[in-house]
Amino acid sequence: MTTATAQAPSGKRKGLSLDNPYAFILPAVVLFGMFSLYPILRSLYLSFFDYDFLRPEQMHFVGWGNYHEILRDERVMRWPGIVTPAKPLSIWEIIFYPFLTLGLTVNSPGGAFWNTIRFTIMYVPAAIIFPLLLAVMVDKAGRMSTLFRTLNFIPVVVSVAVISIIWMWIYHPEYGVVNTLLRQMAGMKEGYNWLSDPKLAMPAVVAMCVWHGLGFNMLLFLVGLQRISPELHEAALVDGATGWQAFRGITLPLLRPTIFLVGLLAMIGALKVFGQMFIMTGGGPADSTLSMVLYLYNIAFRYGKFRFGYASALAWALAVFIFVVALVSFRLSRERE
Amino acid sequence: MMAVTVDRVKRYSGRGLLYLVLAVISAASLLPFLWVILSSLKPHDELYSKQLTFLPHRYTLVNYTQMVERMVGFGFYYRNSVLVSVGTVVLTLFVGSLAAYALSRFRFKGDQALFLIFLGTMMVPGEVGLIGQYELLSSYKLLNTLTGLTLSYTAFNLALTVFVMRSVFIAVPQELLDAARVDGCSWWESYWQIMVPLGASGLAAAGTLVFLSAWNEFIFALTMNNWTDEARTLPVGIQLLQGQWQHWDYGVLFSSVMLSFLPVIILFLFLQKYFMRGLTAGAVKG
Repeated sequence: MTTATAQAPSGKRKGLSLDNPYAFILPAVVLFGMFSLYPILRSLYLSFFDYDFLRPEQMHFVGWGNYHEILRDERVMRWPGIVTPAKPLSIWEIIFYPFLTLGLTVNSPGGAFWNTIRFTIMYVPAAIIFPLLLAVMVDKAGRMSTLFRTLNFIPVVVSVAVISIIWMWIYHPEYGVVNTLLRQMAGMKEGYNWLSDPKLAMPAVVAMCVWHGLGFNMLLFLVGLQRISPELHEAALVDGATGWQAFRGITLPLLRPTIFLVGLLAMIGALKVFGQMFIMTGGGPADSTLSMVLYLYNIAFRYGKFRFGYASALAWALAVFIFVVALVSFRLSRERE
Repeated sequence: MMAVTVDRVKRYSGRGLLYLVLAVISAASLLPFLWVILSSLKPHDELYSKQLTFLPHRYTLVNYTQMVERMVGFGFYYRNSVLVSVGTVVLTLFVGSLAAYALSRFRFKGDQALFLIFLGTMMVPGEVGLIGQYELLSSYKLLNTLTGLTLSYTAFNLALTVFVMRSVFIAVPQELLDAARVDGCSWWESYWQIMVPLGASGLAAAGTLVFLSAWNEFIFALTMNNWTDEARTLPVGIQLLQGQWQHWDYGVLFSSVMLSFLPVIILFLFLQKYFMRGLTAGAVKG
């Protein structure tokens, strides 16, 4: 509020004039209220009802009933069965073990909530580390840095739908690039069924998401890096610090707010993941990639019924969960300052 | 003298290594798209051979002619995506910047409350409104219409646009507006003649952000506009085509997918300054 003046529309104009702040704000208020605020509040209201869209006459109030049902719903809350693999691991599995751990060891997948958590735990660290390393390198590339920034940003502007379809081809068990390379270079006989193996489907989707988000998170890190004055870094180098020491001692601490921002955005996005699973796996195999939003979409529009009440409760429960997680991480990051 | 040369060699080789690593990573970001483009130009037998090729042995446009002949829906999807995205951008920028103008220049009853409501709704995930939105559009007979989807997207992007444009408009000096007022300009005229031209680059940044979100949006389009080909947008249509054609002909799929990502990438390359500005502003505020 720097220069705003308290000038009401001048009195000379008569009654209904368009030259008035309310006239400027009205279209936005109407559109926003009708198509943004109302649907959100309507969902909240519906979440306390047993309501099938096709049978509106049977709609009745159930209080917290839908929310209790979430906690009892096997397909949401079932605890993943964690069993260590029976057969010895191949060399490739050992190399990728740290990344695949969560995927490999889950023999009977859990419910949608735990799948979403699993996805988030695998996605967020990778969505911080790889873009950070890339941004540091792009930042050092001098005149070429704009070019590399642009090239790595291109996937970000392409839709989840198109990216998912392209990666379905990449993961295709017969013609896909990944398996062809595994066959030709690593000498594997068959390759993996990336998207139809309950153990591999989730890590495969995560890998695609990390690739897709790389450029965007890199951009955020680049913005953060530009705020750090280069003199600090150079002074440390002159004082005899190695590049790595300067990075750890100066760049990383000063970059903490950006790391937090990237992590938070990645986490919120990951908890809402939908399109990738809807297109690539449909939540399968054996519910191993069923995410919360995919499940609530299915409840509302897919499973033969239009259970709008229960689906609204799922949506609101997820929103509250996201809000609480964001709030807690905000507090934690404040305390560390 | 010698030391200087060694130093230089060290620095240049370090730089060379850096470029090499960056080139490899950039290639990884681009190869999937390049591969789709090249595959869309391959003849059928080459697509289905066991030996993986990158460059086509023989270039052909047969996949594109096949696509035009046999994928009836694709033209609709394309038209719908263009209409909905452009409509959303125009409507959001107009309505949003008018509101931002009011919020940045006037004090009126409820301005603070309004701003807080805009801000608060930005923190609620859009998916929460999905059910309510479906019911609403259904009751107004707007399901499977481009109008319905455009209105949804506009409302969806409005808060962010107001937010971005308000911070752009606040930077415009008040003296300009006062002078215009003295010259007999109405507020409405000063919006068009002062705020819009001075806020043009901000509008462009917000516009590209809104365009991208409308062009790529998936879950709302899937829910609201998925009954007829006349109503589907590209992301929904393309995943439908993938389901229908994957067992028949990958060639037409490659060409349709290539046509759906090419325009955004080209647009991005031309307008990348605004894209990056809009996206970082969107991220920091959202």
